[in-house]
Amino acid sequence: MTKQSKPTPGATAQLERRYKAMLLPALFAVGLFALIPLAGMIALSFSDYHLMRGTKWEFDFDNFVRLFSDRRLSQSIYAMSILSFFGVAAQVIIGAAIAIGLSKIVSTKWRMGRVFFLLPYAVPHVAVALIWLSLFTPTLSPVNAFFDLFGITVPSFLTTQNGALFAIIMADTWTNFPFTMLIVLAALQGISPDLEEAASLDGASRVQSFFFITLPLLVPAFLMVTLFRFIDSLKHFPMIFVMTKGGPGRSTQATNYYAYIQTFQNSNVAYGAAIAVSLFIVAAVISFYVARLNQRITS
Amino acid sequence: MIDTSASFRFKKTIGMSMMWALLIFAAFPTIWVLIMSLREDSVIFEPFWESPLAVTLDNYFKITRSDFPRALMNSFICAGLSTLLAMIVGVPAGFALAKSRVSGKFYASWLLLLLRMAPPVGFVIPLFLLYVNAGLIDTYFGLIVAYMTLTLPLIVWSMWNSFAQVPDELIEAAIMDGASLFKAFLLVALPAARPGAVAAAILGFLIVWNDFFYALIITRSSTVTAPVAVMNFISYDSVDWGSIAVASIALTLPILPLMVIANRYIVQSLSGAVKG
Repeated sequence: MTKQSKPTPGATAQLERRYKAMLLPALFAVGLFALIPLAGMIALSFSDYHLMRGTKWEFDFDNFVRLFSDRRLSQSIYAMSILSFFGVAAQVIIGAAIAIGLSKIVSTKWRMGRVFFLLPYAVPHVAVALIWLSLFTPTLSPVNAFFDLFGITVPSFLTTQNGALFAIIMADTWTNFPFTMLIVLAALQGISPDLEEAASLDGASRVQSFFFITLPLLVPAFLMVTLFRFIDSLKHFPMIFVMTKGGPGRSTQATNYYAYIQTFQNSNVAYGAAIAVSLFIVAAVISFYVARLNQRITS
Repeated sequence: MIDTSASFRFKKTIGMSMMWALLIFAAFPTIWVLIMSLREDSVIFEPFWESPLAVTLDNYFKITRSDFPRALMNSFICAGLSTLLAMIVGVPAGFALAKSRVSGKFYASWLLLLLRMAPPVGFVIPLFLLYVNAGLIDTYFGLIVAYMTLTLPLIVWSMWNSFAQVPDELIEAAIMDGASLFKAFLLVALPAARPGAVAAAILGFLIVWNDFFYALIITRSSTVTAPVAVMNFISYDSVDWGSIAVASIALTLPILPLMVIANRYIVQSLSGAVKG
C-alpha cells in the first residue's frame, strides 16, 4: 500500500458513480445489440416458427426433444468433432514446431521466412477457402499436375467423405498455425536462457534440456492456445460453405453449418435456433472456465 | 560447450529439413495465388511450368470493371464505422472495468468472453428476422449495428487489459490535482494506454473485415461486403479462377500492415490478463 492519503468515503462513492456512468453506454449497447438477440434466439428455440409452413406461436420443448433423435445432428457433431480435434491438433503441433524451429534451429536467420510463416494468418477465411479449393480442384491444382509428372494420380479429395474433412482441416490449419506460432514464440522468449545453460552445466544435452526444462514451461501456453483454437473451431463456417457446401452428402456439415442449413435453407427457424442455443450452452460453459482461469492467473 | 559430433550434425540436418518443409507448406499457397492471378485465361488449366510466359495483368484490369471494388469499399465502411462506434462506447467501459470497484466484474468478463465465443448463427437468426420486419436487410445501418456484436466485446475486453496495466497512482494523482474522472481518463489514462487502444481498434477492424457469415445473411446487393462478393466469381457452370485470385489478394493486402502492427498484441491479449 502506498502512503498516499486516502480520499474521503464520500469522494470515493462519487468516483464510483462516475465509473458506472462510463460503463452505462457499453452496457446499453451490449444489452441492445447482443442480449436482446440472444433472448430472441432462446424464445425462438421454444417456438414453432417456420418461414414456409406457417407459425402458430406455440411454445414447448419439441425442438429440444427432437435434437436427441436427429441423426443429422449427431452426424454434424461427428463432423465438428473431427474438424475440431484434428484441426486444433495440427495447428498446435505445426505452430509449435515452427516456433521452436525459429528460436532453436534457425534462430536469427530466416527473416523472410518469418514473414511467410505469419502471412497465412492475414488472409481472410473466404480467401483461404478459395485458395485451398483451387489446390484441391484436380483439373487446376499444381499439386496434381506435379505428381502427374511422376505418373502418380492424386485422388480427388473433395469427393470423398474423409477427403473433404481432410481438405477443410488443411485449409484451417494453414491459416491458423501462425496463431499458435506467435503464442509459443512469446512463451519461449519468456523463458530465461540461464535455465538451459544451468542444465547443460549439469551435463544435460541440448535435446534433454529442451524436453525436460523448456517444454514443461510451455505447457500453460499450449493450454491457452488449444482452448482458444478449440472454441473458434466450433464456429467453422466459411471453409465449409466455400469448399464443400457440407458435402459430399452431409459429411462436412459441422453443427454450426447445420444450424444455418436448418434455418436458412429448410426455413425451420425454430429448430435452427434450438441447435444454436445448444451450441451457445457449450460456449457458455467453456467461457466460464476460461474466465475463471483468467481470474486465477491474475490474482 | 559446442557440440560438433556427427549425431548433432545429423539432428541439425533433420531440423533444417523439417523447417524447409514447413516453409513450403506455409508459403506455397500464397505463391500459387500470385501465379494464378497472373495466368492468361486460356492456359489456367495447364501446369504453370509448361507455359511460364503466358503472363498477363488482364485479371487485375478485369476486376476493376466488376462490382468487386464497390464491395471492398463497403467492407471498409462497415469495418471502419462499426469499429469507431465500438471504440467510442467501449474504451470508457474498459477503463471503468479496469479501475473501478464495481461488483460483478467476474460476470462482466464471462459475458464478454461468451459474446466473443458464441456461435454467430445464434445472433444472426433473431437479427435476420428483426431486420426483415424492420426493412434493415441490405442497409449499412443494419450491417454496422450487427457488427457491433463482434467489435464491442472484443474492444471492451482489450481495453480492460490495457487500462489494467496503467498504474492506479497515475489516475489517483490526476484526481488529487483536481481533475474530474473523465479528464483523468481522457488526458492521463488514455494516452498511457494508447498502444493498446490502437491494437484494439485494429483487431476490431480485422474481425469485421474477415466476416463472411453476417454479410452473407443480412446483405443482398448494394451493401454486400468483399468476402461475400468474391462468391460472385463462382457461377453455376464455371469458376473465374483468375478473378478469384486477384480478389483474394485484394482482400489480404489492405489488412497486411494492420496484421504486422497487431501481431504482437494478439499475444498480449491472451497472456496479459485482466486484473480481477
